[in-house]
Amino acid sequence: MNWTRRQLLKTAGGGLAALPGSDALRAAKTEMPKGKADACIFLWLGGGAAHIDSFDPKVRGDGKRQAGSYYDSIATAIPGVRLSEHLKRTAPLLDRCALIRSLSHDISGEHAAAANLVHTGRVPSGTIQYPSIGSVVSHQLGAKSEEVPAYVVMGYPNITRDPGFLGAKYGYVYLTQVETGPNGLVRAPDVDNARQDRRETLLAQLREDFSRRNPGDETIEGQAAISRQGFKMAGPRFLNVFDLKREQASLRETYGGEFGQRCLLARRLVQSGVRFVEVSFNLNFLNGSGWDTHNEGQLKQHLLIQDLDQALAALIQDLERNMMLDRTLVVVATEFGRPPEFDSGGGRGHQSVAFSGMLAGGGLKTAQAIGVTDDLGKKVVDRLVTIPDFHATIHCALGIDPSKNLYAGDRPVPITDHGKPVTELFS
Amino acid sequence: MQTMIVWMLLAAAGVAAQPVQVEIFENLPAGKELDTAGATPAGRYTEPAYAFVHMPTKFSPAAIPLDRSTPFTLRATFERTLPRGEYNFRLRARGAAAFEVDGSRVASTKPQKPNTTGDDPVPPEVIRDGTPLRPLAYPHQDSVARLSLEAGVHRFTLVAIIGGKGLYPTPGELCVSFGNPGEIERLLGPDGSPPLTDAAWETYVASSEERHRAGDIERRRAAGEEMSASWRKRHESARDYLRSQPAPEIPRVSASTPVHNDIDRFIGARLEEATVAPTELTSDLEYLRRVTLDATGQIPTPAEIRTFLGDHPRQRRTLALKRLLDSPGWADHWVSYWQDVLAENPGILKPDLNNTGPFRWWLLQSFQDNIPLDRFVTELIAMEGSIVRGGPAGFSQATLNDAPMAAKADIVSQAFLGQKMSCARCHDAPFHPFKQKDLFGLAAMLNGKPITLPATSTVPSIAGGRKPAVTVALKAGEAIPPEWPFKALLDHDESGSLPGTGIPTRREVAAFIISPRNERFPRVIVNRVWKRYMGLGIVEPADDWTRGKASNPELLNYLAREFVLSGYDMKHLAGLILSSHAYQRRPVAKIVEQSGAKGRLFAGPARRNMTAEQIVDSLHLAAGKTFDCESLNLNPAGDRSASQFLEMGKPARSWQMTALSNERDRPALALPIAQSVADMLTAYGWRQSRQNPATTRDDAASPMQTLMLANGVLGTRIVRLSDDSAFTALALSGRALRDLIEETSIRILSRPPTAEETRAFTGLLEPHYGKRQVEGAEAVRNVRKSDSRVSWSNHLSAEATLIRMEEERRLRMGDQPTKRLTAEFRERYEDVLWAMVNSPEFVMMP
Repeated sequence: MNWTRRQLLKTAGGGLAALPGSDALRAAKTEMPKGKADACIFLWLGGGAAHIDSFDPKVRGDGKRQAGSYYDSIATAIPGVRLSEHLKRTAPLLDRCALIRSLSHDISGEHAAAANLVHTGRVPSGTIQYPSIGSVVSHQLGAKSEEVPAYVVMGYPNITRDPGFLGAKYGYVYLTQVETGPNGLVRAPDVDNARQDRRETLLAQLREDFSRRNPGDETIEGQAAISRQGFKMAGPRFLNVFDLKREQASLRETYGGEFGQRCLLARRLVQSGVRFVEVSFNLNFLNGSGWDTHNEGQLKQHLLIQDLDQALAALIQDLERNMMLDRTLVVVATEFGRPPEFDSGGGRGHQSVAFSGMLAGGGLKTAQAIGVTDDLGKKVVDRLVTIPDFHATIHCALGIDPSKNLYAGDRPVPITDHGKPVTELFS
Repeated sequence: MQTMIVWMLLAAAGVAAQPVQVEIFENLPAGKELDTAGATPAGRYTEPAYAFVHMPTKFSPAAIPLDRSTPFTLRATFERTLPRGEYNFRLRARGAAAFEVDGSRVASTKPQKPNTTGDDPVPPEVIRDGTPLRPLAYPHQDSVARLSLEAGVHRFTLVAIIGGKGLYPTPGELCVSFGNPGEIERLLGPDGSPPLTDAAWETYVASSEERHRAGDIERRRAAGEEMSASWRKRHESARDYLRSQPAPEIPRVSASTPVHNDIDRFIGARLEEATVAPTELTSDLEYLRRVTLDATGQIPTPAEIRTFLGDHPRQRRTLALKRLLDSPGWADHWVSYWQDVLAENPGILKPDLNNTGPFRWWLLQSFQDNIPLDRFVTELIAMEGSIVRGGPAGFSQATLNDAPMAAKADIVSQAFLGQKMSCARCHDAPFHPFKQKDLFGLAAMLNGKPITLPATSTVPSIAGGRKPAVTVALKAGEAIPPEWPFKALLDHDESGSLPGTGIPTRREVAAFIISPRNERFPRVIVNRVWKRYMGLGIVEPADDWTRGKASNPELLNYLAREFVLSGYDMKHLAGLILSSHAYQRRPVAKIVEQSGAKGRLFAGPARRNMTAEQIVDSLHLAAGKTFDCESLNLNPAGDRSASQFLEMGKPARSWQMTALSNERDRPALALPIAQSVADMLTAYGWRQSRQNPATTRDDAASPMQTLMLANGVLGTRIVRLSDDSAFTALALSGRALRDLIEETSIRILSRPPTAEETRAFTGLLEPHYGKRQVEGAEAVRNVRKSDSRVSWSNHLSAEATLIRMEEERRLRMGDQPTKRLTAEFRERYEDVLWAMVNSPEFVMMP
């Protein structure tokens, strides 16, 4: 009898009794809420967006000695909840959103490590590589159609976005600029349809010839099938999704600059059947530092916030117009926040123990601000939400049970590390 | 014209070309690094001229690469005769340097300042003001002196500080050039030294790199000779020990069972027992492609194929194998294997989880020198030598890991003993016979002293939460003493007999593993090599023997004994397997070989695809194109330390790639060309980051594989008929169409085309073949430039971002097509190449 560990763990009752701690495995599971969303757009503010200058405004500081927000605040569609003055387009739409103002973790030193935590929901153990949330969603839900990939990233390939132990199959298609499209899907500029047809005709002849010389080798047929799926993905149906000129010029303008165009593309990707789109806001040149606003980066931070505001508001309204908002969860995430004090250059350092994220649409009970930080946004004083909790909330919104086990080889690994969804957001 | 006459006169005068004498000084007193008077050099070598981009590697007496002190000082002296006249001398350096002529300092450069932000401005674009002089690279300094010299012998001395706190310990483009005013300067040196122009500089630097690489090999082999002799002696006694043990019995097989060597008798006996017929022998060319890929990581070249076919049919397989085992690719191909197994994981941008030093360079030299595997293990575990320049000390690192030696203990025990202890990191392993104490006992041995268990290496019990499903035996904060955990394999310390020196408990670990009395070690190694060549191990999983059983224990035992008798010689072992009939048979679908009672009988090797590295390296070989990508370096300015930014150089083979580490997602930190190579590698299962060891790669087919080959930036480059493509040269070589098609097929698929293929390709190409050539059109040079003005220190500026984004856009346009072929023919021939590269045959091992 050569049972794998997975088979053992899947077997109920007797099979388990012999295993150490097996009673725990049988323990009754917490009932998880199940949302209605079927796709997720994950907006990534890499660098560490200052919560007190955006989603959790406090009393104003002076940019020097006096700690506090850098901007004034404004009222929103949620009574009593205020945002930074530079989020003026999002403010009237805030009832479609839920702010999470009490995110907290303890990695503040290193961007890559914190970004990894917020993407995978776990502190790396070094014994296995945990998958990103995009890969988990891709693994759990797959693409809505065979002709599109399940997971698309607009940003640079890096390990925080990787499929980890789930394997390359649950990796992403990526693009770094809307204009150029994803590597591998877009044909070389000099290959038109006629040429592609010629190529595929030749290839079919070679393939047939090869199969004839290797009769009965199912590996060849298996690979041919997957390869055909690839060519389908690179076909006009999916590639047209990247052609933003198919949208009205006025709509494209509403979305704003490069980040906005990426958000528009994200909507089109979701429409085509992609499950998880990560959109990176990495236009650090707008203010010299991106969201990592040390020193002078602070001075023009408002340009970033305004860009985000324009794109976010346009996305929410566009999804709503297309009747997609209830089924599409929009997430705004960042690796950490920033303290209310200013550094010697007038900017801000890192702060991971209290910062903000946001969820919109996705069929959630929005129009809420979850969690409270102290007067200067330095500590969470109510309803702390851990990164596993944040992930659990996203998974539940997408109908995925965050306590379900994935398998790294034979080792069971729950989707989140004891993450508990923010139940207030589920009706 | 005048200068030319002078040069000719000098040449005629017969001045002996004596090289530039270079001395290296380490650990000079801080602040006085330019003062070498009275100091003893740590090393001496010579250069043909005053350019110092590449330097010899420093080796220990055991031939392990070492780091130099940072900073260290370079002094270069030289004497030569010059005619009377006016001269310009140009000192070019990144940091502090001084240049003396006849004992007087005439030029100097300032120390480089370490950078602390990313906010520096991008310097203006280099203006080529009409001179062919190589422009100053950012952030180098030029210091020029105009001197009137008398005729006669003059003495030149350069002293330069290299590296230092917060700086990268490389010389940059350190050089001195000179010339008469108005003439193009040459590197200071004997007559005939190259001019300081881009093309001559690049050629000179490339030849210097090659010269130092060859010199390194020679010096380290000489340095390590004494150590090698000690190991040979040790292998003698291992042989004596084995000969005192009963030799395995070689099974008899029936006359119809094909036998090349004893391996086939062990396999044949099992096949007969199970009444399974072995598969047929592969054709000669199928064998050549397979064995070339397995031995060197690349497909055979047309020249290798011709040599092979030129040999006598009865000998050609044997002769080819012998050549392949001696080829340099042997080492390249083994590096990628051990990078996976030993989790080699250097980071080019600040430490990330489990980054190690780039010990790939030590891996390479070990296989270049065919170091016996027991010595390899001992050197790895000693973890000595260079961290930055690729010594085994790099293996000791696991950045951001609070118990790095626990990670190493797991890696070492999986790699060499098939004992997978990963689960024991945080708790007693529920499905393995390992306790957490075992792993940490071994970790403490590697640590050289007790290890305190970090809280993160435990399973937290949450009050009121569910109980952990595993037994947690150790408490956070507990100190675990060094203790050998695998007493069943070997229970007494033999480190006294080990050659070399080092931390005693590390030597104990090595001695326990490599003792001839520990039968497990050679078995694990031969099983790994078997699996690499046959697709599946005799024991599976090859890294986790507590879960596996040998499908042919007698064969395993036989191979292990052969391996030890050969002196742990990897080439001997490989030769044995690769010359067996079993290896040379047609493949069997993996699923069939894997499963059931008849599993892993090895009627033939398991069907497999080429690895990511084999695919990428073979594609480049076929097209005759190099990677030609950026240097894997985000700190070309050199104003950050090696602990933060590793400089990994320009890769020529896939194993030299690294994770591009753009977690910050900033366009200015992108390396677009390298990324296009990484994209293809990733699609085929290469891991950009190796946080943990892996013996078996994820080999699931995915649509991205097809897409990367078919449409990806690299796939497109391979089939693009640019003027640097081997296929362009073929098409222009004036051969008959039939020959072109045949040669193309040989280059890509290592075989002549089938009748069907010839028909299809001829039909497509023939109408355009006669008029394919464009008269008078010239070759255009492919420009794949990476702007060296962008470095971490200025990457936050808008300009840096725009520069890299523009490079990305340009890359997407692909290589410039040749103008020497008509578009009608070129496009059709490219389509033929495309079809061959994308056919399933290309990526599948024959």
